[in-house]
Amino acid sequence: MSMLEIKNLRKTFASKKQKVVAVDDVSFTVQAGEMVGLLGPNGAGKTTIIKSVLGIVEPDSGTISVKGFDPSRQPKQLLSHTAAVLEGSRNIYWRLSVWENICFFAGIHGISVAVGKSYFEHLLTTFNLKEKRDSEVRLLSQGMKQKVAICCALAKQTSLVFLDEPTLGLDVETSYELRDALKDLVQNEQRTVVVSSHDMDVIQDVCQRAIIVSNGRVIADEKISDLLALFESRTFKLVVDGAHHPELLSELNQMVLPVSSSTNDRQLILKVNLPTARDLYALIDLLREHGAELETINQEAPDLEKVFVNLVRKERERCNGTL
Amino acid sequence: MQRYFVAMRAMIARNLINMRRYIFNTISGLVTMYIVFMLLFLGIRGIGGAALAGGTTLEGLIVSYLLWVLSISAYSDLAWDLNQEAQVGTLEQLYISPIGFNWLNAFNLISGLGLSFVFSGVLLVVMMLTTGKYLSVDLISVLPLMIASLLGVYGIGFAMGGLALVFKRIQAFFQIFQFVFVAFLALPLDRFPWAQFLPLTMGGHLLRQVMIHGTRLWELPATSLAVLALTGICYLALGLITFEWSARIAKRKGLLGHY
Ligand SMILES: Nc1ncnc2c1ncn2[C@@H]1O[C@H](COP(=O)(O)OP(=O)(O)O)[C@@H](O)[C@H]1O
Ligand SMILES: [Mg+2]
Repeated sequence: MSMLEIKNLRKTFASKKQKVVAVDDVSFTVQAGEMVGLLGPNGAGKTTIIKSVLGIVEPDSGTISVKGFDPSRQPKQLLSHTAAVLEGSRNIYWRLSVWENICFFAGIHGISVAVGKSYFEHLLTTFNLKEKRDSEVRLLSQGMKQKVAICCALAKQTSLVFLDEPTLGLDVETSYELRDALKDLVQNEQRTVVVSSHDMDVIQDVCQRAIIVSNGRVIADEKISDLLALFESRTFKLVVDGAHHPELLSELNQMVLPVSSSTNDRQLILKVNLPTARDLYALIDLLREHGAELETINQEAPDLEKVFVNLVRKERERCNGTL
Repeated sequence: MQRYFVAMRAMIARNLINMRRYIFNTISGLVTMYIVFMLLFLGIRGIGGAALAGGTTLEGLIVSYLLWVLSISAYSDLAWDLNQEAQVGTLEQLYISPIGFNWLNAFNLISGLGLSFVFSGVLLVVMMLTTGKYLSVDLISVLPLMIASLLGVYGIGFAMGGLALVFKRIQAFFQIFQFVFVAFLALPLDRFPWAQFLPLTMGGHLLRQVMIHGTRLWELPATSLAVLALTGICYLALGLITFEWSARIAKRKGLLGHY
């Protein structure tokens, strides 16, 4: 059985004036042990999807199951396997200390301090919070507060964990520290983690799979490596010694390949789209014929950011087209 | 079963820690309550001697004041604290506990009630010592009456707390109930018999008999006790229904967090 299964989830928020379709026919499945990214721009519907699974938002239609349990019919069984850090809220008590928070939130999950103590301490070590154990949370930095909230969710030792925008508002250093701790965790414990973020960097770094959401719809659901391959660019950047190569340029322009060129005072920089290896060899031969010395050649690295921006733009165009 | 016990302990621990860490607030709250009481006491003694309108005596004032203090504490545990938690975003965490929000809330209210019994006990002793008016504190009679009187207050608290989750503006009316409770407690039953069906009124009436005249619980008229218990249960049930209804709407509109 899969850990999490969402089918045809729909949620509309209706206020006096307008109707917002926050989640529009979303379906996906997460297997046990996966670390999955829910990637999408602000307002895409990520938080609403997560809250629907937790039963704190009631969806219009669709089915949800966590280990076979339904949030509206078996909330307690479902929640006993689930923990979450939600976006945009405190999640924890600022007036309690780090340790008191962990004990409280594990406690309301039914885990006593006596049973959980050594694991709680392990979490503090992993997240670098040992020294702050007895500090009141309100006195900690934003990054630390976020780490404490994550510890409180993890302390419940559930098989499924939702982290909604865990790196939002964190400085780069804390963000990296957090990612490392999360990667550690999934490696050492058999947890299933769903991380939502509008930051592709985070997802690319910690997840094996990304579900890209935009306008309430899933527009891609692929392994990160496949997503990158899908959009792997065939654009090469070549740097040629010497700025002045008029015949070369004119001949290049006669080739059907799209080329852009620029020069600085001692180099010619070419950007060429080369769909096959044969095109690349042909180009290198051409350079040799004209006595142009090739300094470097690079394939432009694909990154998830480009993939993401591309997909979201296409989806927007599709939406606008149908409106 | 064990898990429920662990959750209850966690809830009690949270409330105790908050109380201890903010002991200064707790104490200054108590002192304020005491000062307000003394002003009332001295004022009433100044204008009219023992027998005031509706048979209110200075002893009666102490009893009513005590019940009022318990009421506003019970009420604010629900209406105020709950919406505070919704605003900062801890309420959703309580709602995703497998123990169930209603149990957690019950543990919270019970421990809150325990604490406020302790503090109002201290307040009572100080009030008696400084005014020289000593009351009968027969716990077997007093505690059940107090708890029964508070059922209606909890009902109002649930209703207001729930409604405010959906209609945030209602918070502006939270404070009004502190004064409404005064009215409930002050209405004399001999002149307004219908008032026995209001929250707190019958409770206050019976509690004054017990604490001033030393009547035991079982010596009170059975019909009065029945009215007290039944109205209390009705108000509580209405409050709970309103709360459940509001929570459902809040889930539909995504309002358990602060959207
Ligand atoms: N409680 C709510 N009431 C009305 N609209 C909401 C509510 N929650 C979310 N929305 C709207 O639904 C859409 C999706 O929001 P959300 O799920 O928070 O997106 P994300 O988490 O991806 O940023 C947004 O347009 C947002 O404005
Ligand atoms: Mg969000």
